[in-house]
Amino acid sequence: MPAVQETIDQVRGIDIDQYKYGFETFIEVDKAPKGLSEDIIRFISAKKQEPEWMLEWRLDAYRRWLTMEEPTWARVDYPKIDFNDIYYYAAPKNLTGPTSLEEVDPELLRTYEKLGIPLREQEILAGVTSSKVAVDAVFDSVSVVTTFRKELEKAGVIFMSISEAIREHPDLIKKYLGSVVPTTDNYYATLNAAVFTDGSFVFVPKGVRCPMELSTYFRINEKNTGQFERTLIIVEEGGYVSYLEGCTAPQRDENQLHAAVVELVALDDAEIKYSTVQNWFPGDAQGKGGIYNFVTKRGDCRGARSKISWTQVETGSAITWKYPSCILRGDDSRGEFYSIAVSNGHQQIDSGTKMIHLGKNTSSRIISKGISAGKSQNTYRGQVSIHRRAENARNFTNCDSLLIGDKCGAHTVPYIEVKNASGQVEHEATTSKISDDQKFYVMQRGIPEEEAIALIVNGFVKDVIQELPMEFAVEAQKLIGISLEGSVG
Amino acid sequence: MNIQTTNRLTAAETALIESYMSQVGELPGDGSVAALRDRLLDDLKKSGLPTRRVESWHYTDLKTLLRSVPTSSPAPTATQVDALIDGAHVLPVLQGQAQAAIVVEGVDVTAFSASLTDGTAAAELMALDKDDAIGKINGSFARDGYRLAIPAGISVETPIELQAVHGAGQVHARFPVSVGAGARATVIERHRSATGEAAFISSISEIVLEDRADMVWVILQEQGAEDTHLGQIRVRLGAESKLKLFVVNAGGKLVRQELRINVEGEGSELTLRGVNLLGQETHTDVTLVLGHNVPHTNSTEIIRNVVFDRAKGVFQGMIRVAPDAQKTDAKMACNTLLLTDDGEFSVKPELEIFADDVICGHGATVTDIDKNHLYYLRSRGIPENVARAMLVNAFVAEIVEELEDEKLVEALEGVISAWLEKHA
Repeated sequence: MPAVQETIDQVRGIDIDQYKYGFETFIEVDKAPKGLSEDIIRFISAKKQEPEWMLEWRLDAYRRWLTMEEPTWARVDYPKIDFNDIYYYAAPKNLTGPTSLEEVDPELLRTYEKLGIPLREQEILAGVTSSKVAVDAVFDSVSVVTTFRKELEKAGVIFMSISEAIREHPDLIKKYLGSVVPTTDNYYATLNAAVFTDGSFVFVPKGVRCPMELSTYFRINEKNTGQFERTLIIVEEGGYVSYLEGCTAPQRDENQLHAAVVELVALDDAEIKYSTVQNWFPGDAQGKGGIYNFVTKRGDCRGARSKISWTQVETGSAITWKYPSCILRGDDSRGEFYSIAVSNGHQQIDSGTKMIHLGKNTSSRIISKGISAGKSQNTYRGQVSIHRRAENARNFTNCDSLLIGDKCGAHTVPYIEVKNASGQVEHEATTSKISDDQKFYVMQRGIPEEEAIALIVNGFVKDVIQELPMEFAVEAQKLIGISLEGSVG
Repeated sequence: MNIQTTNRLTAAETALIESYMSQVGELPGDGSVAALRDRLLDDLKKSGLPTRRVESWHYTDLKTLLRSVPTSSPAPTATQVDALIDGAHVLPVLQGQAQAAIVVEGVDVTAFSASLTDGTAAAELMALDKDDAIGKINGSFARDGYRLAIPAGISVETPIELQAVHGAGQVHARFPVSVGAGARATVIERHRSATGEAAFISSISEIVLEDRADMVWVILQEQGAEDTHLGQIRVRLGAESKLKLFVVNAGGKLVRQELRINVEGEGSELTLRGVNLLGQETHTDVTLVLGHNVPHTNSTEIIRNVVFDRAKGVFQGMIRVAPDAQKTDAKMACNTLLLTDDGEFSVKPELEIFADDVICGHGATVTDIDKNHLYYLRSRGIPENVARAMLVNAFVAEIVEELEDEKLVEALEGVISAWLEKHA
């Protein structure tokens, strides 16, 4: 029971508006003027030393974006965003491509320390080479440190920032960028295509099992800069990669926009496991501040027998709008989605997945656990679509919601579309509070109410937690505990 | 894709507007009703028929699906048919016209046109919200129907059949029904085509159950293969009242059955059962919006669908639990047998919950007949087609049996078997 005890201690120690990661790092920043225009895009592209075709790609996206309207279908409510009041580019200044940690600004290293980056990653950043996790740390839009690149290169794995990849591997970028999430897929994805400043690029060649888990820390730091990340992961035939993404952001008053795009491509027999822990600033006790998280994540099981698995733990952000999806194009491909979404305070979450079955014998599994507390609104929105030629498709969906307190809301909006008789689709959803019987059972064994609830909540999300890589699982449990602080009892 | 365009009228929209213009003088109603009709039609003209961009019409893009609207032909081409159950009180609506005063013991029956003429219907013709296309269409065009009032404490033992029969043309009927405190009744709302010629039908039943009222309401839709049927039922449940609502869809080309139910009294109970028999080219949509607005209420919903041929089916079921509606117990299931690769079924079971002490759940399945079940029967010497028919029949009959009235069960089973024989 150590993890549970730990959670409880965490919960006790922290007030809801004392966001653990609420601090700012003062280092010099190179910034584009506020606002969005073709000139800003040219500026970003020039800063990134991008080739002409990339600039054209961005400008095309921008011109299309101008004709689009912000989507309003999600169950989230926020004041209108002024897209001209945002810095679209901010980069730490002393950037000459450090190859060793000594070259990194010590202020930045202290930030990592404050972030509480799990020990293993800190070791790496401190130069301890025995560890096996590679970190591509994203510090305000620019990849500052890329560790273990050499070891990965030995295996043939390319792991670098997307801007570097655009310069060094234009063929791969041209072939795959925008092939899963088209430029005009949706409002935010189009905006991202126009102004993305950085992100990660992973390429795992044929037959290679990536020798380590890849991890990225996103960190939004400079005031009022939107974070527009672009991640592209390609795994060729028979390859495997496990990618971890974790996020924290400092406390601030004005809402911040984050519109990332993540594209995954799995060819024949390839497997991609993508895990996210997201704990950006959710706003204070009055619901002020907090990150707007409008993310487009999509995986394409392009090859036969490929597999893509999304696991997410969402505890942060004021507003979350996120639907990691799988397009099951290859025959016998498989998509999985495991999610824990915890909302407290004034948070609003509208998240879920899409499983698009196109190939034969495709299968998908969706396990979603929503916990709403405080005054939050938590929505699961998912789609399972079995297309006409998707013979023998199989889907199982389970989404459970737990309500803590009578001021919050939990909503479930699944869309199920079946066009092939050989398919088998099952969906189940429940919403309830923690039953008095369960609580009584635990409490009569001498456990106080608050701890009893934490224990039950941990049990509720266990199905998903166990899908996470070990170091993430521990962090995730802590986060859930922190997020629910003040809501129990 | 996200570009806003102004509404360009489709052929069907134009036909509806022209049809209204041609009848505007002769539609029954006093000044207030006429003004309301004008406003509803104007709303419809401005918004157009709903498209898939309107969330509540996501799977039934009426603007695209409704290709044409036949002109209104008030000449009755329809005649009354036998009652579904022997001895039932039949209240016929032939080509949209209620028949001369019919007496049902204990029930106050009047033609709806009378409420239009004296203006009392003005308060009822409203659309429920801006996306309520059925409310707008029916409100603009409604000519007749029946108003039923069952006084408090009265038990109407014999079922009442509202029999809407039509030929070609347009039919827009309305059935306001009030059930007094502690009263009981069974009503069968039956829609059928007499000739099979294309018709455009809208129908709204508005049911108010006072405290402790107990009602069984059956909707049996057997429209012709060319018909468009836009049905809506608006229900308000009082304290400790009970409603069993059965919806059987067994016909029509383009069908939308909207069930808008508000549970407004503590201790009330809703039982919804639906059977959708979908064959040929039909597009049938059952949309439920159920509001649990007060504490301590129960509801269960079970919808069974069978899809043959090139049919398309939709079930949208939204359960909304209001902030103070603690101790709500709501369970919903939607099971579909998709028997063909040319057919399709879309389900959107939705939960919107603002109270914490509730038990709400939904389940949805879409699949073909279980191979093991089929094998079980075939290994006992039953030919495949017979075995399949048995399994399909069992799948839907199970639901019908929940109606306790034996005669009603028998009659509905008869309708279902006949339909399956024709389509399977």
